[in-house]
Amino acid sequence: MVTQAPNTPSAAVKPIPRIPRKPRAMSGTGGRTAALFLTPFFAVFAVAMVAPVIYAMVLSFFAQQKSGLGFGEAKTSFVGLENYLQVLQSETFTGGIGRLALYCLFYIPCMVGGALLFALLMDAAVARARKLFQLLVFLPHAVPGVIAALIWAYLYTPGVSPIVSVLETGGISLNFLDNQMILPSIVNIAVWEWTGYNVIILFTALQAVPREILEAARVDGAGEIRAAISIKLPLILPALSVIMLFTVIGTLQLFTEPSIISKATASVTSTWVPNMWAFDAAFNRHNLNQAAAASIIIALMAAVLSWAVTRFSSRNKA
Amino acid sequence: MKRRQLLLGAVSLMATTALITGCGSTQAAAPTPTEDPSGTITFWSSMAGMDKVAEAFNASQSKIKVTFETIPNGGAGGYAKLSTAITAGNGPDVATIEYPQLPQFVSNGQLQPLDGFINKAETVDKLTDETKALVQFGDATYALPYDAAPMIMWYRKDMLDKAGVGVPKTWQDFEEAGKKLKAVAPEAHLASFNPNEAALTAALSWQAGAKWFGTEGDSWKVGINDEATQKVANYWQKLIDQKIVKVQQSFSDEWSADLASGAVVGVLGANWSATGIQKRTEASGQKGQWIAAEAPNWGSPADAFYGGSSFNITKSSKNPAAAAKFIEFLATSQDAVKARGNTGSAFLAYPGLTPVAQQAFDSSYFGNDIYAVFDKAYASITPGWQWGPNWDITNTALKDAYGKLTSGGKVLDAVDTAQSATVTGLKQNGLSVKE
Repeated sequence: MVTQAPNTPSAAVKPIPRIPRKPRAMSGTGGRTAALFLTPFFAVFAVAMVAPVIYAMVLSFFAQQKSGLGFGEAKTSFVGLENYLQVLQSETFTGGIGRLALYCLFYIPCMVGGALLFALLMDAAVARARKLFQLLVFLPHAVPGVIAALIWAYLYTPGVSPIVSVLETGGISLNFLDNQMILPSIVNIAVWEWTGYNVIILFTALQAVPREILEAARVDGAGEIRAAISIKLPLILPALSVIMLFTVIGTLQLFTEPSIISKATASVTSTWVPNMWAFDAAFNRHNLNQAAAASIIIALMAAVLSWAVTRFSSRNKA
Repeated sequence: MKRRQLLLGAVSLMATTALITGCGSTQAAAPTPTEDPSGTITFWSSMAGMDKVAEAFNASQSKIKVTFETIPNGGAGGYAKLSTAITAGNGPDVATIEYPQLPQFVSNGQLQPLDGFINKAETVDKLTDETKALVQFGDATYALPYDAAPMIMWYRKDMLDKAGVGVPKTWQDFEEAGKKLKAVAPEAHLASFNPNEAALTAALSWQAGAKWFGTEGDSWKVGINDEATQKVANYWQKLIDQKIVKVQQSFSDEWSADLASGAVVGVLGANWSATGIQKRTEASGQKGQWIAAEAPNWGSPADAFYGGSSFNITKSSKNPAAAAKFIEFLATSQDAVKARGNTGSAFLAYPGLTPVAQQAFDSSYFGNDIYAVFDKAYASITPGWQWGPNWDITNTALKDAYGKLTSGGKVLDAVDTAQSATVTGLKQNGLSVKE
């Protein structure tokens, strides 16, 4: 699943006009009230987030070892980093990471570029067209990921898909589901799903660009395109970096679309991306410990990448 | 030599199962089958019509009440759900597990042996040796078989006639028939090769005399790329290269569309394929054209099981005696088969049940007596096949390796990959493995 936190728009606009923080008022009683209000959140956070993560970490250092024919009781023993080594040595896991990297190479430029283009167009368009446009662009995102994947699987399947048959009558025979095309095909689903959502974030950021600066640019003789590139783009960079952050994290969690498509073609294997590898380890191969190790590795990758993205974008700002 | 190895394996299996039963007998002395159990039990299955069977059982007596729950089938995550639930201690009393997955549930300690709960003389003892071998490990019985699914080849008779060939008897005939079909209908394929069905590759290899899994002393012997399987792999590669068969996922939209349009005119399946074929081809006016035939063989009649399910008592069951009464009903009672109604062309393992299932199924769509064909196929099942301790490792590896078939990958390479992945995976679980 290309999950992105749904509460980003406000986060995206906030950084632009920096409001100076108010000095903290009356720390004595306020602290207690705050604690009262925060407790439910932290309680749920601890149970639903911290505890499972710790449990996964613990699991990842142990292994269920059977012996002989395996029909006896399994022994649980501490194995240190062996699960991690096994995961990293697995060709299917590293292959999945490579595939994901390739996926990013296609997906991020297409999606972010597309979102930026649409947002700039919307910002420049007249008001009425803008509303309609906004709705149309956002609509695909309102379709749940599973449904979207099912629809696209239908549109890709030869013999069933109207698109494939139209292409065939035009003399182009294209199998969207074969080994070469499958990656772009899945990228296409993700782009279709996520562009609209990111357009909204970028568009909101664009709305916050001070109009007087744009007017000044216009007085200086800048056309729409020049204003977009030299004024708007630098001013919405923080929003762009937020998008990048969520996209990178979301990409690492890719799962739903390939899982659904794997029912339609053998090109998507059951260990196609790291998340699917972890699922397969846990529920098909019944090796929970290896699955835990794989999940921790995925989480670490997300942490490192997020750090890199934020680091890169904050340097840009300075 | 071979017999000795088998014997040794069986002895060690007995020893280990004795160990499990020793450890697991918290329910003290196992009650005798004559005891009269009562209580409420839960039953999970993905098979259609099982809700009606549970209702019929509830109506037939008042002591045991069965609560039925439909779960997704194995391919859609049913086994993941079942396995997780049993591990967490909230699994059902009675589960439905297919034969390939059964040893893995046994090996994970997720099932209770049925011995002591069921009336053996009236149940397992009446089965054929080939079926018994699928549910007994060592001297313990872990399941009652429901269906015995012989691999069956389904053809469009009209297309065979058009190609001027009879029903292929051997695999060589099959290839010839495919070539002749190509000559009269260049776009048509005689069958499809299903990369999503590792169990079908297993059945084909089983039929050819392969033994993917076996025991040798205290070790598993894994032979997924053994000689017989290599023969099968090379043969199907030849069919794929000549476009006699089409590589496609079975049960996919593409497969359905190709059956309807006539791009594929045969289905290598099992007795249970009938409903699926009818559903996909009925609207295209193919009534009466489809016939069932014994799968082509390598020279003398031979077949294998492709699919089939068994009923089991899980580790989570607190009332195994009541559960045993229910699975006896499920697996051996004619009333259970009647209650299930017309859910497909079932072929059941317990003697005397298949005629009841046959009556419930309307086979008028097909051009020949399909049950007569099933009977013949069932009589020629190659003995000696055993499933391994973790089928899903092999299943995943083989399916994944088949993913390369559309871009120049070879069937033979895929079985080699599956072999090494299985050996590595089993060793990682600590099992002793010999290649």
